[in-house]
Amino acid sequence: MQEKNIYKPLKAKIVEVIDESPMIKTFVLVPEEEFSFKTGQFIELTVDGLGEAPFTPSSSPLVSDQLEVTIMKAGYITEIMHKMKPGEYMGIRGPYGRGYPVEDYYDKEVLILGGGCGFAPIRSLLYNLKAVSDKLRKVTFCYGSKTPVDCIYKPYISELRATPKFEVYRSVDKGDESWTEKVGVVTVLLDDVELDIPNSVAVVCGPPIMMKFGTFKLLEMGYPEDKIYLSMEKNMSCGLGKCGHCAMGDYFVCKDGPVFTYNEIKNHPHIWM
Amino acid sequence: MKVYVLSQKKWIDLLNEIIAHCQVYAPLKKENSVDFIKVTAENSDTIYYDGNTPVTPLKAFFTPVKENVVNLKEPQQRVVIGVPNCDLAALDLMDNIYINEDYIDPCYKQNRERTIIFGKDCFQYKDTCHCTVYGIKPFIEKNCDIAMSVFEENFYLIPMNERGEEFLKKQKIDFGDPKDSLPEKLREQRDKVVDKLQEQNRELPDEKETRKGIEKSEEKLWKDYAATCVSCGACSFICPTCHCFLLIDRDNFEKVKNWDVCQFPGFARVAAGEDPLKPLHERFKYRYLCKYIYKPDMFKAIACTGCGRCIDTCIGKIDKNEVIKEACKQG
Repeated sequence: MQEKNIYKPLKAKIVEVIDESPMIKTFVLVPEEEFSFKTGQFIELTVDGLGEAPFTPSSSPLVSDQLEVTIMKAGYITEIMHKMKPGEYMGIRGPYGRGYPVEDYYDKEVLILGGGCGFAPIRSLLYNLKAVSDKLRKVTFCYGSKTPVDCIYKPYISELRATPKFEVYRSVDKGDESWTEKVGVVTVLLDDVELDIPNSVAVVCGPPIMMKFGTFKLLEMGYPEDKIYLSMEKNMSCGLGKCGHCAMGDYFVCKDGPVFTYNEIKNHPHIWM
Repeated sequence: MKVYVLSQKKWIDLLNEIIAHCQVYAPLKKENSVDFIKVTAENSDTIYYDGNTPVTPLKAFFTPVKENVVNLKEPQQRVVIGVPNCDLAALDLMDNIYINEDYIDPCYKQNRERTIIFGKDCFQYKDTCHCTVYGIKPFIEKNCDIAMSVFEENFYLIPMNERGEEFLKKQKIDFGDPKDSLPEKLREQRDKVVDKLQEQNRELPDEKETRKGIEKSEEKLWKDYAATCVSCGACSFICPTCHCFLLIDRDNFEKVKNWDVCQFPGFARVAAGEDPLKPLHERFKYRYLCKYIYKPDMFKAIACTGCGRCIDTCIGKIDKNEVIKEACKQG
């Protein structure tokens, strides 16, 4: 066989498992061969003999000897993944798809709207943006989750808040006594942030319903359709534009996305499912 | 053009020689239908050269129902005889999906390369055949190694590429001097079949009209026609251009590619449970959208070659062409 077999996973050892919330864990993986990806691209992660699912790595794309994948317990295979321990192996295929075009964000403000486990791909993007922050005007990150315990990457939030040019705002749908930040759906945060919209791009990643209302709010605020970057979620099997599962009109989300600008997909069927 | 003219006896000699050194599949009668079956010295005289489209589409040779795509088998040459042009026309799309500039599917490529295809003329056709509506001819134009016409006791073989030419040369048969064209009578017969197929489908809209009809159609149409659909997926399994699959995991990080179908519940369901194709009629309509709108937009190739198999096979008695006619009437 001359070409690399696109279906064969690369083995990767789990070296650490981090509990992020009751439903979310981060797996730190060391692949047996060098593995690199661009921020926003995704991988197919295999549990040997049992199944695989697509995830966007949550670690920096500038680190190539290990990667982190943040996984929410949501179904059959993610439940099995949550039981896996350091020392065990997973399989990686990829990276697949079109990630965030970070160079297009140079000389601009970047507004990021994230919800729930949508913080995973965003964290990778934030690492990348921090590395090129001298080329950016400002990064404003608005993050929403259901309750305070569902807020992930707490140490990273503190780190980000101490980073020049980076601002972080958080909200929860339902607060408690410990919660001192906003209460409400994530879009409420947008009322308080200062933005230079004509010199700004927006990135949205989260559950479909949040993506929908987030995008509508951004449009209302004056963001042009081609300056709103959405990371689309679809059922995916191959990741290669062949198996047909992720078809969205005349796009295969796995190959043509998963990151699209709103104008690229606004007339496509089922974009918010 | 080189046309080798073989008598029936000579053809059988050639066939037996091919069978002796590689696997050969051809349309053979199987109960009430015709299907691609392995040819042996015992059944080689019962090949059905001119008749109904084989039940199984050609794609099954290149992307089998189940195939381990990590642990690949050593490729062995094989020959498929008697492939109708509707199956060959489908290769434009299939090759584009499986072997493209982005990713090459090693299994599909290997299966394509190891298969010598003998295309065939369709002098007989079914009442569901409608290739001509989409500009496809009921005889060989391209996408095979050797074109074969069986006409008035003779076998006419035309090498369509270097591979086909080489393959014939390798056989220890005296092919005689090639003619430079097919007989006039055979070509007239082809034209007659084209005329009859056009007559049979005179009310069926072409791909452009079909597209418009589907775009303008109302939800009720799909709900009405989907009323007898049981999501069995047969229409897609036997379709020469349906390519969807699911990767199933095996031990040692091996993966098996299994045919999958957009008509099955859960085909597009995501982790959190949302499913854009949840209602049955949405899935039912999706197949038409895919064939007549999405695939032409993505690959500049229509995803229906008019083989009629989906109509023949539907246990809900749904006639795809009736749906299209109705959609166009509404539009």
